Amino acid sequence: MKIYIQGTGCVSPQQTAGAGPFLASIQEYEGNRLAAVEPDYKQWVEPNMLRRMGRAVKMGVAAARLSLQQAGITLPDAIITGTAYGCLQDTGVFLSKMVTGQEKALSPTAFIQSTHNTVSGQIGLLLSCHAYNNTFVHKGFSFESALLDSMMILQEGAVQQVLAGGVDEITDHSHTILSRFGLYKQEPVRNTSLLQSATHGTIAGEGAAFFVLGAAKSPQSIAQLAGLTTIYKPVSTEERDAAIQGFLATHGLRSADIDLLICGHNGNVEENDTYAQVAQTLFPQTTVAGFKHLCGEYPTATAFAAWMAAEILKQQQAPQDIILSGSAPEKLDRILIYNCYQGTHHSLILLSKP
Amino acid sequence: MADLKSQIIEQLNLQEVKPEDIGDDQPLFKDGLGLDSIDALELIVLLQQHYSIRLANPDQGPEIFYSVRTMATYITAQQKQPG
Repeated sequence: MKIYIQGTGCVSPQQTAGAGPFLASIQEYEGNRLAAVEPDYKQWVEPNMLRRMGRAVKMGVAAARLSLQQAGITLPDAIITGTAYGCLQDTGVFLSKMVTGQEKALSPTAFIQSTHNTVSGQIGLLLSCHAYNNTFVHKGFSFESALLDSMMILQEGAVQQVLAGGVDEITDHSHTILSRFGLYKQEPVRNTSLLQSATHGTIAGEGAAFFVLGAAKSPQSIAQLAGLTTIYKPVSTEERDAAIQGFLATHGLRSADIDLLICGHNGNVEENDTYAQVAQTLFPQTTVAGFKHLCGEYPTATAFAAWMAAEILKQQQAPQDIILSGSAPEKLDRILIYNCYQGTHHSLILLSKP
Repeated sequence: MADLKSQIIEQLNLQEVKPEDIGDDQPLFKDGLGLDSIDALELIVLLQQHYSIRLANPDQGPEIFYSVRTMATYITAQQKQPG
Protein backbone atom coordinates (compact mmCIF):
# COMPACT_ATOMS: atom_id res chain seq x y z
CA MET A 1 0.00 0.00 0.00
CA LYS A 2 1.30 3.46 -0.91
CA ILE A 3 1.25 6.37 1.51
CA TYR A 4 1.34 9.94 0.25
CA ILE A 5 2.39 13.21 1.81
CA GLN A 6 -0.47 15.58 1.03
CA GLY A 7 0.77 18.62 2.91
CA THR A 8 3.71 19.78 5.03
CA GLY A 9 4.35 22.53 7.53
CA CYS A 10 7.57 23.47 9.25
CA VAL A 11 8.76 25.91 11.89
CA SER A 12 12.54 25.87 12.14
CA PRO A 13 15.59 28.11 12.57
CA GLN A 14 15.18 28.84 8.84
CA GLN A 15 12.44 30.89 7.18
CA THR A 16 10.23 27.86 6.62
CA ALA A 17 6.88 28.95 8.02
CA GLY A 18 6.26 31.85 5.66
CA ALA A 19 5.14 32.00 2.08
CA GLY A 20 8.63 32.64 0.66
CA PRO A 21 10.47 30.33 -1.72
CA PHE A 22 11.91 27.07 -0.36
CA LEU A 23 15.18 27.74 1.52
CA ALA A 24 15.92 30.71 -0.76
CA SER A 25 18.44 32.16 1.67
CA ILE A 26 20.05 30.42 4.60
CA GLN A 27 19.63 32.03 8.01
CA GLU A 28 23.09 32.38 9.54
CA TYR A 29 23.83 31.98 13.24
CA GLU A 30 26.87 32.47 15.49
CA GLY A 31 27.16 30.19 18.48
CA ASN A 32 26.10 26.71 19.45
CA ARG A 33 22.34 27.27 19.65
CA LEU A 34 19.88 27.88 16.83
CA ALA A 35 16.50 29.41 17.59
CA ALA A 36 13.37 28.78 15.56
CA VAL A 37 12.11 31.64 13.43
CA GLU A 38 8.63 31.83 14.86
CA PRO A 39 5.66 33.01 12.81
CA ASP A 40 2.87 35.21 14.13
CA TYR A 41 0.88 32.55 15.98
CA LYS A 42 -2.18 34.77 16.32
CA GLN A 43 -3.17 33.81 12.80
CA TRP A 44 -3.97 30.33 14.14
CA VAL A 45 -4.57 30.66 17.88
CA GLU A 46 -6.70 33.04 19.98
CA PRO A 47 -4.57 35.25 22.29
CA ASN A 48 -6.48 33.89 25.28
CA MET A 49 -5.22 30.37 24.47
CA LEU A 50 -1.82 31.49 23.23
CA ARG A 51 -0.87 32.87 26.65
CA ARG A 52 -0.86 29.34 28.08
CA MET A 53 1.19 27.73 25.32
CA GLY A 54 4.91 27.12 25.53
CA ARG A 55 7.07 27.36 22.41
CA ALA A 56 6.95 23.64 21.59
CA VAL A 57 3.16 23.74 21.56
CA LYS A 58 3.06 26.92 19.48
CA MET A 59 5.57 25.59 16.95
CA GLY A 60 3.69 22.30 16.72
CA VAL A 61 0.33 23.97 16.27
CA ALA A 62 1.71 26.27 13.56
CA ALA A 63 3.38 23.43 11.63
CA ALA A 64 0.21 21.33 11.93
CA ARG A 65 -1.97 24.17 10.67
CA LEU A 66 0.36 24.84 7.73
CA SER A 67 0.35 21.18 6.69
CA LEU A 68 -3.44 20.93 6.91
CA GLN A 69 -3.77 24.12 4.90
CA GLN A 70 -1.49 22.78 2.18
CA ALA A 71 -3.36 19.46 2.11
CA GLY A 72 -6.67 21.28 1.89
CA ILE A 73 -8.25 19.47 4.83
CA THR A 74 -9.58 20.76 8.14
CA LEU A 75 -10.05 17.60 10.18
CA PRO A 76 -7.61 14.66 10.12
CA ASP A 77 -8.62 11.14 11.14
CA ALA A 78 -5.71 10.88 13.60
CA ILE A 79 -3.06 13.10 15.19
CA ILE A 80 0.30 11.49 15.97
CA THR A 81 3.28 13.36 17.35
CA GLY A 82 6.88 12.48 18.18
CA THR A 83 8.80 14.48 20.75
CA ALA A 84 11.80 13.54 22.85
CA TYR A 85 11.95 16.47 25.24
CA GLY A 86 8.27 17.43 25.33
CA CYS A 87 7.26 20.84 26.60
CA LEU A 88 10.46 21.88 28.31
CA GLN A 89 9.57 25.53 28.77
CA ASP A 90 6.58 24.73 30.97
CA THR A 91 8.52 21.96 32.71
CA GLY A 92 11.18 24.56 33.58
CA VAL A 93 8.57 27.04 34.83
CA PHE A 94 6.84 24.38 36.92
CA LEU A 95 10.06 23.11 38.51
CA SER A 96 11.40 26.63 39.13
CA LYS A 97 8.16 27.68 40.83
CA MET A 98 8.27 24.49 42.87
CA VAL A 99 11.68 25.54 44.18
CA THR A 100 10.92 29.23 44.74
CA GLY A 101 7.51 28.46 46.24
CA GLN A 102 9.09 25.84 48.53
CA GLU A 103 6.75 23.20 47.10
CA LYS A 104 3.72 24.94 48.61
CA ALA A 105 1.80 26.91 46.00
CA LEU A 106 2.28 25.39 42.56
CA SER A 107 1.09 26.91 39.30
CA PRO A 108 -1.46 24.56 37.71
CA THR A 109 -1.06 25.97 34.18
CA ALA A 110 2.64 25.14 33.81
CA PHE A 111 2.03 21.65 35.23
CA ILE A 112 -0.87 20.97 32.87
CA GLN A 113 1.09 22.22 29.87
CA SER A 114 4.35 20.47 30.73
CA THR A 115 3.40 16.95 29.68
CA HIS A 116 4.80 15.45 26.48
CA ASN A 117 1.38 14.96 24.90
CA THR A 118 0.41 18.63 25.22
CA VAL A 119 1.35 19.38 21.59
CA SER A 120 -0.83 16.63 20.14
CA GLY A 121 -3.57 17.38 22.65
CA GLN A 122 -3.66 21.11 21.91
CA ILE A 123 -3.79 20.46 18.16
CA GLY A 124 -6.72 18.12 18.78
CA LEU A 125 -8.48 20.72 20.94
CA LEU A 126 -7.96 23.51 18.43
CA LEU A 127 -9.28 21.37 15.58
CA SER A 128 -12.07 19.86 17.71
CA CYS A 129 -10.64 16.55 16.56
CA HIS A 130 -11.73 13.74 18.87
CA ALA A 131 -10.06 11.02 16.82
CA TYR A 132 -7.03 8.86 17.70
CA ASN A 133 -4.42 11.08 19.34
CA ASN A 134 -1.05 9.71 20.34
CA THR A 135 2.43 10.91 21.24
CA PHE A 136 5.65 8.92 20.97
CA VAL A 137 8.57 9.73 23.26
CA HIS A 138 11.48 7.56 22.16
CA LYS A 139 14.59 9.76 22.20
CA GLY A 140 16.11 9.74 18.69
CA PHE A 141 13.29 7.54 17.34
CA SER A 142 10.39 9.73 18.50
CA PHE A 143 9.49 11.12 15.07
CA GLU A 144 10.19 7.81 13.37
CA SER A 145 7.83 6.06 15.82
CA ALA A 146 5.11 8.61 15.06
CA LEU A 147 5.59 7.99 11.34
CA LEU A 148 5.57 4.22 11.82
CA ASP A 149 2.30 4.36 13.78
CA SER A 150 0.82 6.60 11.06
CA MET A 151 1.85 4.16 8.34
CA MET A 152 0.42 1.20 10.26
CA ILE A 153 -3.01 2.72 10.89
CA LEU A 154 -3.21 3.88 7.29
CA GLN A 155 -2.29 0.37 6.14
CA GLU A 156 -4.98 -1.08 8.40
CA GLY A 157 -7.47 1.05 6.49
CA ALA A 158 -8.87 2.46 9.71
CA VAL A 159 -8.20 6.06 8.68
CA GLN A 160 -7.75 8.04 5.48
CA GLN A 161 -5.78 11.11 6.60
CA VAL A 162 -3.24 11.27 9.42
CA LEU A 163 -1.61 14.39 10.80
CA ALA A 164 1.87 13.31 11.92
CA GLY A 165 4.84 15.31 13.06
CA GLY A 166 7.88 15.82 15.22
CA VAL A 167 8.67 18.66 17.59
CA ASP A 168 11.31 19.62 20.13
CA GLU A 169 12.36 22.89 21.71
CA ILE A 170 15.46 24.21 23.46
CA THR A 171 15.21 26.30 26.59
CA ASP A 172 17.90 28.04 28.64
CA HIS A 173 17.62 25.26 31.23
CA SER A 174 17.87 22.40 28.74
CA HIS A 175 20.69 24.01 26.80
CA THR A 176 22.70 24.46 30.00
CA ILE A 177 22.09 20.86 31.09
CA LEU A 178 22.84 19.35 27.66
CA SER A 179 25.96 21.53 27.40
CA ARG A 180 27.21 19.91 30.61
CA PHE A 181 26.94 16.55 28.84
CA GLY A 182 29.42 17.88 26.27
CA LEU A 183 26.99 17.77 23.35
CA TYR A 184 27.74 21.21 21.94
CA LYS A 185 30.81 22.94 20.58
CA GLN A 186 32.81 25.05 22.99
CA GLU A 187 34.61 27.20 20.43
CA PRO A 188 32.96 29.90 18.27
CA VAL A 189 31.00 28.32 15.45
CA ARG A 190 28.82 29.41 12.54
CA ASN A 191 26.05 27.15 11.35
CA THR A 192 27.03 27.71 7.73
CA SER A 193 30.44 26.12 8.31
CA LEU A 194 29.24 23.49 10.83
CA LEU A 195 29.42 20.52 8.49
CA GLN A 196 33.07 21.22 7.66
CA SER A 197 34.00 21.30 11.35
CA ALA A 198 36.62 18.87 12.65
CA THR A 199 36.11 19.36 16.38
CA HIS A 200 34.01 17.75 19.09
CA GLY A 201 30.35 18.67 19.58
CA THR A 202 27.55 20.08 17.51
CA ILE A 203 25.01 22.91 17.72
CA ALA A 204 21.62 22.70 19.40
CA GLY A 205 18.52 23.04 17.31
CA GLU A 206 14.77 22.99 17.57
CA GLY A 207 11.65 23.05 15.47
CA ALA A 208 8.46 21.35 14.41
CA ALA A 209 7.50 19.68 11.16
CA PHE A 210 4.11 18.15 10.47
CA PHE A 211 2.77 16.12 7.57
CA VAL A 212 -0.66 15.17 6.34
CA LEU A 213 -0.36 11.56 5.24
CA GLY A 214 -3.00 9.92 3.12
CA ALA A 215 -3.65 6.51 1.62
CA ALA A 216 -4.87 7.86 -1.71
CA LYS A 217 -2.95 9.88 -4.28
CA SER A 218 -4.46 13.29 -4.91
CA PRO A 219 -3.55 16.46 -6.83
CA GLN A 220 -2.12 17.73 -3.51
CA SER A 221 0.27 14.79 -3.17
CA ILE A 222 3.82 16.10 -2.81
CA ALA A 223 5.71 12.89 -2.25
CA GLN A 224 5.31 9.25 -1.37
CA LEU A 225 6.43 8.01 2.02
CA ALA A 226 7.88 4.82 0.60
CA GLY A 227 9.66 3.30 3.57
CA LEU A 228 10.92 3.64 7.10
CA THR A 229 13.09 1.61 9.42
CA THR A 230 15.03 2.04 12.63
CA ILE A 231 18.22 0.28 13.70
CA TYR A 232 19.00 0.48 17.40
CA LYS A 233 22.58 0.09 18.57
CA PRO A 234 23.96 -2.14 15.81
CA VAL A 235 26.89 -4.05 17.27
CA SER A 236 29.14 -3.38 14.29
CA THR A 237 29.39 -1.36 11.10
CA GLU A 238 28.75 -4.61 9.25
CA GLU A 239 25.41 -5.08 11.03
CA ARG A 240 24.48 -1.46 10.31
CA ASP A 241 25.44 -1.74 6.64
CA ALA A 242 23.58 -5.04 6.28
CA ALA A 243 20.46 -3.41 7.74
CA ILE A 244 20.71 -0.51 5.27
CA GLN A 245 21.23 -2.88 2.35
CA GLY A 246 18.35 -5.03 3.58
CA PHE A 247 16.12 -1.95 3.69
CA LEU A 248 16.98 -1.11 0.08
CA ALA A 249 16.39 -4.72 -1.00
CA THR A 250 13.01 -4.77 0.77
CA HIS A 251 11.99 -1.87 -1.45
CA GLY A 252 13.49 -3.44 -4.57
CA LEU A 253 16.20 -0.80 -4.84
CA ARG A 254 19.94 -0.62 -5.40
CA SER A 255 22.00 2.23 -3.97
CA ALA A 256 22.25 3.73 -7.46
CA ASP A 257 18.46 4.17 -7.43
CA ILE A 258 18.76 6.76 -4.68
CA ASP A 259 19.13 10.19 -6.29
CA LEU A 260 19.91 12.07 -3.10
CA LEU A 261 21.13 10.83 0.27
CA ILE A 262 20.33 13.27 3.07
CA CYS A 263 22.61 12.50 6.00
CA GLY A 264 22.52 13.70 9.59
CA HIS A 265 26.08 15.16 9.68
CA ASN A 266 26.16 17.46 12.67
CA GLY A 267 29.75 18.71 12.66
CA ASN A 268 30.83 16.44 15.52
CA VAL A 269 34.12 14.87 14.50
CA GLU A 270 33.25 11.68 16.43
CA GLU A 271 30.05 11.19 14.45
CA ASN A 272 31.21 12.30 11.00
CA ASP A 273 32.86 8.94 10.32
CA THR A 274 29.52 7.13 10.57
CA TYR A 275 28.01 9.18 7.78
CA ALA A 276 31.19 9.19 5.68
CA GLN A 277 31.38 5.38 5.89
CA VAL A 278 27.74 4.88 4.92
CA ALA A 279 27.94 7.37 2.06
CA GLN A 280 31.27 6.15 0.65
CA THR A 281 30.76 2.43 1.16
CA LEU A 282 27.08 1.99 0.36
CA PHE A 283 26.24 5.00 -1.83
CA PRO A 284 29.45 5.81 -3.76
CA GLN A 285 27.61 7.32 -6.73
CA THR A 286 24.92 9.19 -4.85
CA THR A 287 24.89 12.92 -4.17
CA VAL A 288 25.03 13.54 -0.42
CA ALA A 289 23.32 16.42 1.36
CA GLY A 290 23.21 17.65 4.96
CA PHE A 291 20.51 19.44 6.94
CA LYS A 292 21.65 20.01 10.52
CA HIS A 293 23.50 23.22 9.63
CA LEU A 294 19.98 24.53 8.91
CA CYS A 295 18.04 23.19 11.89
CA GLY A 296 20.66 22.14 14.45
CA GLU A 297 20.87 18.83 16.30
CA TYR A 298 17.89 17.57 18.29
CA PRO A 299 16.20 14.19 18.69
CA THR A 300 13.41 14.87 16.17
CA ALA A 301 15.58 16.66 13.60
CA THR A 302 14.63 13.98 11.05
CA ALA A 303 11.21 15.64 10.88
CA PHE A 304 12.97 18.69 9.41
CA ALA A 305 14.89 16.41 7.03
CA ALA A 306 11.65 14.74 5.90
CA TRP A 307 10.08 18.17 5.35
CA MET A 308 13.14 19.22 3.33
CA ALA A 309 13.09 16.01 1.28
CA ALA A 310 9.39 16.39 0.50
CA GLU A 311 9.97 19.98 -0.63
CA ILE A 312 12.91 18.92 -2.82
CA LEU A 313 10.74 16.29 -4.51
CA LYS A 314 7.98 18.85 -4.99
CA GLN A 315 10.33 21.50 -6.40
CA GLN A 316 12.48 18.93 -8.23
CA GLN A 317 15.49 20.90 -7.12
CA ALA A 318 17.97 20.56 -4.26
CA PRO A 319 19.34 23.84 -2.89
CA GLN A 320 23.10 24.15 -3.44
CA ASP A 321 23.61 25.08 0.23
CA ILE A 322 22.73 21.56 1.36
CA ILE A 323 25.00 19.58 -1.01
CA LEU A 324 27.97 18.01 0.75
CA SER A 325 29.39 15.86 -2.02
CA GLY A 326 28.57 15.14 -5.63
CA SER A 327 26.72 17.41 -7.97
CA ALA A 328 23.10 18.52 -7.84
CA PRO A 329 21.10 15.50 -9.08
CA GLU A 330 19.66 15.78 -12.57
CA LYS A 331 16.60 13.77 -11.63
CA LEU A 332 14.99 13.52 -8.22
CA ASP A 333 12.81 10.44 -8.00
CA ARG A 334 13.95 9.02 -4.67
CA ILE A 335 15.49 10.56 -1.57
CA LEU A 336 16.82 8.55 1.35
CA ILE A 337 17.31 10.15 4.77
CA TYR A 338 19.88 8.47 6.99
CA ASN A 339 20.28 9.72 10.53
CA CYS A 340 22.21 8.44 13.51
CA TYR A 341 21.29 10.12 16.77
CA GLN A 342 24.12 10.08 19.31
CA GLY A 343 25.66 6.98 17.80
CA THR A 344 22.84 4.67 18.87
CA HIS A 345 19.59 5.52 17.04
CA HIS A 346 19.98 4.87 13.30
CA SER A 347 17.01 5.55 11.05
CA LEU A 348 16.16 5.45 7.36
CA ILE A 349 13.26 7.31 5.76
CA LEU A 350 12.62 6.80 2.06
CA LEU A 351 10.64 9.34 0.06
CA SER A 352 9.87 9.18 -3.62
CA LYS A 353 7.95 11.11 -6.26
CA PRO A 354 4.20 10.57 -5.88
CA MET B 1 -5.49 47.67 43.58
CA ALA B 2 -2.94 48.60 40.89
CA ASP B 3 -0.45 46.15 42.42
CA LEU B 4 -3.07 43.42 42.50
CA LYS B 5 -3.91 44.01 38.83
CA SER B 6 -0.20 43.70 37.93
CA GLN B 7 0.02 40.47 39.94
CA ILE B 8 -3.04 39.06 38.17
CA ILE B 9 -1.57 39.94 34.76
CA GLU B 10 1.74 38.29 35.63
CA GLN B 11 0.23 35.19 37.22
CA LEU B 12 -2.16 34.57 34.31
CA ASN B 13 0.30 35.68 31.61
CA LEU B 14 -2.27 38.09 30.14
CA GLN B 15 0.17 39.21 27.47
CA GLU B 16 -1.73 42.08 25.92
CA VAL B 17 -3.51 43.41 29.00
CA LYS B 18 -2.25 46.41 31.00
CA PRO B 19 -3.31 47.15 34.62
CA GLU B 20 -5.30 50.18 33.47
CA ASP B 21 -7.28 47.94 31.08
CA ILE B 22 -8.87 46.12 34.03
CA GLY B 23 -11.71 47.99 35.69
CA ASP B 24 -11.91 47.83 39.49
CA ASP B 25 -15.43 46.41 39.32
CA GLN B 26 -15.15 44.60 35.98
CA PRO B 27 -16.08 40.90 36.29
CA LEU B 28 -12.95 38.76 35.97
CA PHE B 29 -14.70 35.72 34.52
CA LYS B 30 -16.89 35.02 31.50
CA ASP B 31 -18.00 38.20 29.75
CA GLY B 32 -15.68 40.40 31.80
CA LEU B 33 -11.97 39.69 31.49
CA GLY B 34 -12.80 36.23 30.09
CA LEU B 35 -10.99 34.12 32.67
CA ASP B 36 -11.77 30.41 33.08
CA SER B 37 -11.53 27.64 35.65
CA ILE B 38 -7.76 27.17 35.27
CA ASP B 39 -7.34 30.89 35.92
CA ALA B 40 -9.40 30.46 39.10
CA LEU B 41 -6.80 27.97 40.33
CA GLU B 42 -4.04 30.41 39.44
CA LEU B 43 -5.78 33.15 41.45
CA ILE B 44 -5.91 30.84 44.48
CA VAL B 45 -2.15 30.27 44.04
CA LEU B 46 -1.65 34.05 43.74
CA LEU B 47 -3.35 34.62 47.12
CA GLN B 48 -1.10 32.01 48.72
CA GLN B 49 2.12 33.24 47.12
CA HIS B 50 1.71 36.98 47.54
CA TYR B 51 -0.50 37.29 50.62
CA SER B 52 -0.09 33.94 52.42
CA ILE B 53 -3.86 33.55 52.33
CA ARG B 54 -5.29 30.06 51.93
CA LEU B 55 -8.83 29.96 50.69
CA ALA B 56 -10.59 28.11 53.49
CA ASN B 57 -13.94 27.66 51.78
CA PRO B 58 -13.86 27.07 47.98
CA ASP B 59 -17.57 27.92 47.82
CA GLN B 60 -16.57 31.53 48.47
CA GLY B 61 -14.52 31.57 45.24
CA PRO B 62 -17.11 33.11 42.91
CA GLU B 63 -17.76 35.91 45.42
CA ILE B 64 -14.10 36.64 46.20
CA PHE B 65 -12.89 36.45 42.60
CA TYR B 66 -15.77 38.39 41.10
CA SER B 67 -13.65 41.51 40.46
CA VAL B 68 -10.37 43.11 41.47
CA ARG B 69 -12.26 45.12 44.11
CA THR B 70 -13.82 42.02 45.70
CA MET B 71 -10.42 40.35 45.75
CA ALA B 72 -8.81 43.42 47.33
CA THR B 73 -11.58 43.61 49.94
CA TYR B 74 -11.10 39.94 50.82
CA ILE B 75 -7.30 40.32 51.07
CA THR B 76 -7.63 43.39 53.29
CA ALA B 77 -10.13 41.64 55.55
CA GLN B 78 -7.89 38.58 55.88
CA GLN B 79 -4.84 40.69 56.68
CA LYS B 80 -6.71 42.50 59.48
CA GLN B 81 -7.65 39.25 61.15
CA PRO B 82 -5.42 38.39 64.13
CA GLY B 83 -2.89 35.77 63.11
